[in-house]
Amino acid sequence: MKKAVLVFVVAAMLLVTVGLWIANTSGDLGFTDIAGFGVIILVVAFAVFIGFKRLASAKRGEPTEDELSRKVMRKTSSLAFYISLYLWLAIMYFSEKINCETHTIIGIGILGMAVIFAVCWLILNFTGIKNE
Amino acid sequence: MNNRIKEYRARYNLTQDDLAKKVNVRRETIVFLEKNKYNPSLKLAYDIARVFDTKIEEIFLFK
Repeated sequence: MKKAVLVFVVAAMLLVTVGLWIANTSGDLGFTDIAGFGVIILVVAFAVFIGFKRLASAKRGEPTEDELSRKVMRKTSSLAFYISLYLWLAIMYFSEKINCETHTIIGIGILGMAVIFAVCWLILNFTGIKNE
Repeated sequence: MNNRIKEYRARYNLTQDDLAKKVNVRRETIVFLEKNKYNPSLKLAYDIARVFDTKIEEIFLFK
């Protein structure tokens, strides 16, 4: 139950931070800003989805985590890390061709890693993990 | 590895929820086990066999 609530707390903190970011942005929001917010909202929606799943398990009297969910999380982490290396490689390659500030490039990388993690989790959660 | 969890569950008149609570896992794990999308740990296999009052090899069939 505590872990389910923790997910909501982290998601709320992220939303508050994004709200502060928008409030402190001077002038109109550019396409990259809006795209960034969109990706952050997707990541928050993913976290809320996991939180609701855990809450539903807790309400049914089941554990919020078990051996399958832990295995899925472990496999997701390793797969997402492996794919993220290629993401950073691509970012390094394209950063020389596109004129972007360093903090924008790092932001794209971090958001990209979050999206890769979410996609890997969704795939593994629905396909399952066979014996390896 | 195949298993006969669904068959035993029907025999004991247990729902997936009931079995999940008895072996202390989430219902999704039982769903994945029945669909052969996940091979359980030895402990979970033992717990499931104990719920059905039988041996592990009666429920989990090694190919």
